[in-house]
Amino acid sequence: MHKTTLSHIGRLQATYVVVTGVFVLFFVGLIKLQIFEHSELATLAENNRIRVVPIEPRRGVVFDRQGRVIVGDRPSYTVSVVPAEERKGLTIPHLAPILDLDTTQIRRRVKRNAASPYQPAPIRRDVPFDAIAVLEEQNSEFPGVNYQLDRVREYSVDLRAEAFTGHVGEVSEQEMERNPQADYRLGSTIGKKGVEKQYDDLLRGVEGTAFIEVTALGEVLGEYKGKERVPPVPGCDLTLSIDNDVQLAAIQALDTQDQKFSNMKLQSDSAPIIHRAGAIVAIDPRTGEILAMTSAPGFDPNTFSGMITDSMWQAISTDPAHPLLNRPLAGLYPPGSTFKLLTLGAGLESGVIDENTTFRPCLGGYQFGNRFFKCWEKRGHGVQNSIHAVEMSCDAYFYQLGLKVGVDQMYRYAMLCGFGKKTGVDLPSELSGLMPSVQYYDKRYGKNGWTKALVLNTAIGQGEVLTTPLQLAQFYCGIANWGTVYKPHLVTKVTHPNGRVDQIEPQVSFQLPFSRSTLAIMREGLRLVVEGGSGTARRLRNNLYSVCGKTGTAQNPHGEDHSWFVGFAPIENPEIVVCALVENAGHGSEVAAPVAKKVIEVYMKKKLGLLEPQQQPEPMAQVGAKELRP
Amino acid sequence: MRFNYRHLDWKLVGAVMALSLIGIITIFSSQYYSNSAYQQTYWLRQLVWLVLAFVAFLAVVRFPQRLFDASAYGLYGVSLVLLILVLAVGHTRMGASRWFDLGPVSFSPSDIAKLAALLTIARFFAYTRLPAYSKRRLAVSAIIVILPMMLILKQPDLGTSLTFPVILFALWFWSGLSPWYLVLIVSPIISMVAAYYWLSWAVYLVALLIFLASLRPGLIFSIGVVVMNLAFGMITPFIWERLADYQKNRILTFLNPGHDPRGAGYQIIQSKIAIGSGGVIGKGYLQGSQARLDYLPERHTDFIFSVLGEEFGLIGALIVIGLFTFIFFRCIRIAARCRSRFASYTCFGATAVLFFQFAVNIGMTLGLMPVTGLPLPFVSYGGTGLLLSWVLIGLIVAADHHWQEY
Ligand SMILES: [Zn+2]
Repeated sequence: MHKTTLSHIGRLQATYVVVTGVFVLFFVGLIKLQIFEHSELATLAENNRIRVVPIEPRRGVVFDRQGRVIVGDRPSYTVSVVPAEERKGLTIPHLAPILDLDTTQIRRRVKRNAASPYQPAPIRRDVPFDAIAVLEEQNSEFPGVNYQLDRVREYSVDLRAEAFTGHVGEVSEQEMERNPQADYRLGSTIGKKGVEKQYDDLLRGVEGTAFIEVTALGEVLGEYKGKERVPPVPGCDLTLSIDNDVQLAAIQALDTQDQKFSNMKLQSDSAPIIHRAGAIVAIDPRTGEILAMTSAPGFDPNTFSGMITDSMWQAISTDPAHPLLNRPLAGLYPPGSTFKLLTLGAGLESGVIDENTTFRPCLGGYQFGNRFFKCWEKRGHGVQNSIHAVEMSCDAYFYQLGLKVGVDQMYRYAMLCGFGKKTGVDLPSELSGLMPSVQYYDKRYGKNGWTKALVLNTAIGQGEVLTTPLQLAQFYCGIANWGTVYKPHLVTKVTHPNGRVDQIEPQVSFQLPFSRSTLAIMREGLRLVVEGGSGTARRLRNNLYSVCGKTGTAQNPHGEDHSWFVGFAPIENPEIVVCALVENAGHGSEVAAPVAKKVIEVYMKKKLGLLEPQQQPEPMAQVGAKELRP
Repeated sequence: MRFNYRHLDWKLVGAVMALSLIGIITIFSSQYYSNSAYQQTYWLRQLVWLVLAFVAFLAVVRFPQRLFDASAYGLYGVSLVLLILVLAVGHTRMGASRWFDLGPVSFSPSDIAKLAALLTIARFFAYTRLPAYSKRRLAVSAIIVILPMMLILKQPDLGTSLTFPVILFALWFWSGLSPWYLVLIVSPIISMVAAYYWLSWAVYLVALLIFLASLRPGLIFSIGVVVMNLAFGMITPFIWERLADYQKNRILTFLNPGHDPRGAGYQIIQSKIAIGSGGVIGKGYLQGSQARLDYLPERHTDFIFSVLGEEFGLIGALIVIGLFTFIFFRCIRIAARCRSRFASYTCFGATAVLFFQFAVNIGMTLGLMPVTGLPLPFVSYGGTGLLLSWVLIGLIVAADHHWQEY
């Protein structure tokens, strides 16, 4: 059978043949390089250099749900200096005024490339064309300077989408160290925040390379013929679940013309629009798709696309209005009365009450030990059952309910409802919030250093408990969707450069720990908040669609109360959950509820075909840096 | 039985010594213009290592042969433990953990693992006396190399881990397995590459079937080969399609660092310029401009041959590949005339390791092969590498010496 097996001698000879073959191959290879290509390669070695120039790939475009571009890019020029070709005392001093930089900044950037002195070190992106024209005309004045056509990221300013788009910037040295396997290069553009950061691997694409032959004096001779250029691979395009109309409604809803709701003093009274600080999140509870998200005040992400100067960075990062704080997922606030739904659910589900349970009457508050805990309604609410307690948002009722549920059970249910932990939204730097447990209190106040009085505050969403607007929206999504919570997400579609499309399917995140009957009672309470005779959000009632929700007023030790509203519509088959937070604005029913209403209304009108043709937003500057600061 | 140095193959040892000295001379030149005082002493450190390596060589030659086959399995176990340890606590350089830092020297257990795997398979083949086509023999020997290979792949060090299948295939071949079977065994990998385009895959499959039909290697084996070829060919494009471009790029760069034009791709261009500009007689010692101008990274290790080719030209380069070829011929002859099976397998395996490194390294500097990061035996800077290469030569020379004794 093994007739093909070589004999001992055969194997020996075969081995000699292999060794001889490799010798001959290398001999031929050497002759080719050292005799036939000698003169060409010798010229390269003596006079010319191969400059390896990166070709930036097209960064993926970000679309909204209607296919409109939210983030794209536009052509721009990048100026670089080749360290080895730079003339001391000439290049940098001449370049500095043209690029509007000082010489030390340029020198610092050139120095970073010291390890590869023949590769261009990018000095400044997005250089205006007239500066390029000067470099072109007075070529000889700038030895070692070259420029190339690049792209710079461009964000749609109208949408004020920086809360989720984030922005790009130049890769930092720490980021390069942290990701040694990523193909970062000094000067590479990478996502720094938001979707840009979360999906950087997909958006960035793969850099290409051109091999340029230059003389010893830096004169470009053209592409080196010995090595083909490697074309760049463009990044993937992303489609977000953001609904253009709802997003526009959200950013407009936060602005007001009523001076009463401004926490800032205006410099001139000719500017009637006041930009309030706050956050809005709108989610489709059936899928977890985020329809709108905004954080105010924001910033202009285009600022970071080119090269941000130190003074610009200083201005943004030290702005007292915190434009860089991403409020929907990193702003921590006490949830106020919106949290009462959790207390109600915990009470019903653990069996300490049923829907008809009543407590001691509200006489403008509740006496616990030697301390009187006030209800927001000084006149009191009298005796009521759980549903009406939600309708009127009676604090006294929920103090007593919280006592019955207890710290432990409150903590357990809150954690099961997604509080105190990240939602897992596809955005970076989300915070988890805080839900106090017995261990937390023990650690903070000492083993016997605290009393049950603390749970009274937790029950109405005050005290230690802190949530993000996104967490609250997620909880109400669960109520709206009969207990099933989908993971909030933005990206619905990834389009690869080869045309392949990946649809991102909705993902169930968890189930609320409440039975259908418990949820039905909670929803009835929410309905009465809008439709009941003494509901706190009666002003949302309308003839077009049904809507429900809960107001909240969160006490803020640092200033005016924060105003909350979380609600959904239509009640029967909810399609949109809106969570609105307005900082330092007072009562939820007065401020946040009308804000949320504007957002819900646009969605519902659009659904019913009643939306007037696209209202363009008034052009307004970002940050409010000019308008807001005195 | 007295030890007699006169019976050693001094021509072989002389050739190896010549290569080692050429290495030190070239390392000196490669760092002559370096700004770092430490790098300027590389040649001196290599010289110290050469002395150590020669002592180790003499020790291997003087040791009774029995000691090697007796210690093979133990050494294998120790090498596996060291490989696991280096992954856990080893020193990380450039993203790969391959080294133990032992004060002034750092040491890489991959070299010990190579030696251990070689001795272990040689011993297993020599003493179990199973026929070359025995399934148990094939399977056990495959497992012996796969374990250290996987651990080294995890470091990650593709070049070194490929040495292990080379040892295995060399010894399968030398112990009687037909080279056509080796082709069949690696055929699923060829299928994977061919499947990139359906037409090339179809042609390849037809060729494979014709090949199987003419070779008739047994039904079960044939079916196994066909199934593996189909599976590898069908799954790969499917997985490949699912990958995003940046992931593909990372895999390509891992398999062939030359794919990355700013890293290894640039090195190859500079290496070719250096060698080509050397011409026939070279630019002269210490006159190489490519090496001096920092164009050529890794010029004292992986790209030492480029420095050599630039400064000593075609003549110098030919002397070096000529010396290597002489060494390989000599070693293969020794392997063929050993009386002990264990000695013969050890010799052939050791030669295969050295030959593989030689072929991959020079092929890389000439731009004929992908960049794998394997140094040139005896010539490249690197203490443990030099030591291991000399130990391998020691095994070969000792085997020859003992052959002459009997
Ligand atoms: Zn009350």
